[in-house]
Amino acid sequence: MHELGLALEVCRMTEERLGSDGMAQVRAVGVEIGDDAGIEVGNFQFCLETLLAEPPFRGARPVILRRPGDVLRLAYLEVDDGRPDD
Amino acid sequence: MAVRTIDVRERIMARNDELAGQVRERLREAGVPALNLVSSPGAGKTMLLERTLADLGDELVISVVTGDVQTQNDADRLAVHTDRLVQAVITNGACHLDAKQVLTALDAIDLAATDLLFIENVGNLVCPASWDLGENAKIVLFSVTEGEDKPVKYPKMFQQARMVVFTKLDLLPHVPFKVERAIGFCRQVNPELQFLSTSALVPDGLEEWYGFLWAEARGGTR
Repeated sequence: MHELGLALEVCRMTEERLGSDGMAQVRAVGVEIGDDAGIEVGNFQFCLETLLAEPPFRGARPVILRRPGDVLRLAYLEVDDGRPDD
Repeated sequence: MAVRTIDVRERIMARNDELAGQVRERLREAGVPALNLVSSPGAGKTMLLERTLADLGDELVISVVTGDVQTQNDADRLAVHTDRLVQAVITNGACHLDAKQVLTALDAIDLAATDLLFIENVGNLVCPASWDLGENAKIVLFSVTEGEDKPVKYPKMFQQARMVVFTKLDLLPHVPFKVERAIGFCRQVNPELQFLSTSALVPDGLEEWYGFLWAEARGGTR
């Protein structure tokens, strides 16, 4: 339940940043998880993967980045927003 | 077309912590200290609160926010002992209270007429340790029917707490629990912890608990 709540919060933060229309463009979600963050990583990854497979997402990939300490943060979003290359 | 990377680097708990800050500010403005009671399920949080409300309710104005996964049974039990509103939060599956739930619950509480606020969290020694609710202190209730090594099994909760209140001391002659051994495990993870021993049923050891509550209500014990 704890991990699901945190995964839902990652989705909320993503929507806050990209808007509801932008969520379909997300290709990967990078999350940093510290060894002392109190998170069961496999469970969290499963919850996030499940949420990212459902609309408004379209199968974005969760990327878990293990860190020392108790860090727990959304590190980055990879999006394909249809813009041409720079 | 290019896949671009958006650098975020934002703490996942940031929103909760922002709301916890709002809780803390409202409580500070009203001069109301808040104690977040946490424990395993069945450690006696509601029983200790029932006894506390019954014994202090005429002198100390105590408001309570209770959290349970389902039912408002705890709130109903507490309401018998106080005229104050006992605000129930049903988490619908979530294993902890969050700051948004507490902030919403505060809207129903007359803080100007409150001396002390208890937040009775969901019975769980894991998740509530990670969620700041804007409280002054987390108090862990540790019953003598549990294993003495709970602190080393669930270190984060005991590291986050200010005080451990042993409960159900009346059962001590019937169980193998050794209080000194449990205190040793507590100190392994948090040398700063304070300790009280209580039985709400008999009752016993409650004068020290009430003394602590009065000190908190008058402006804090540290």
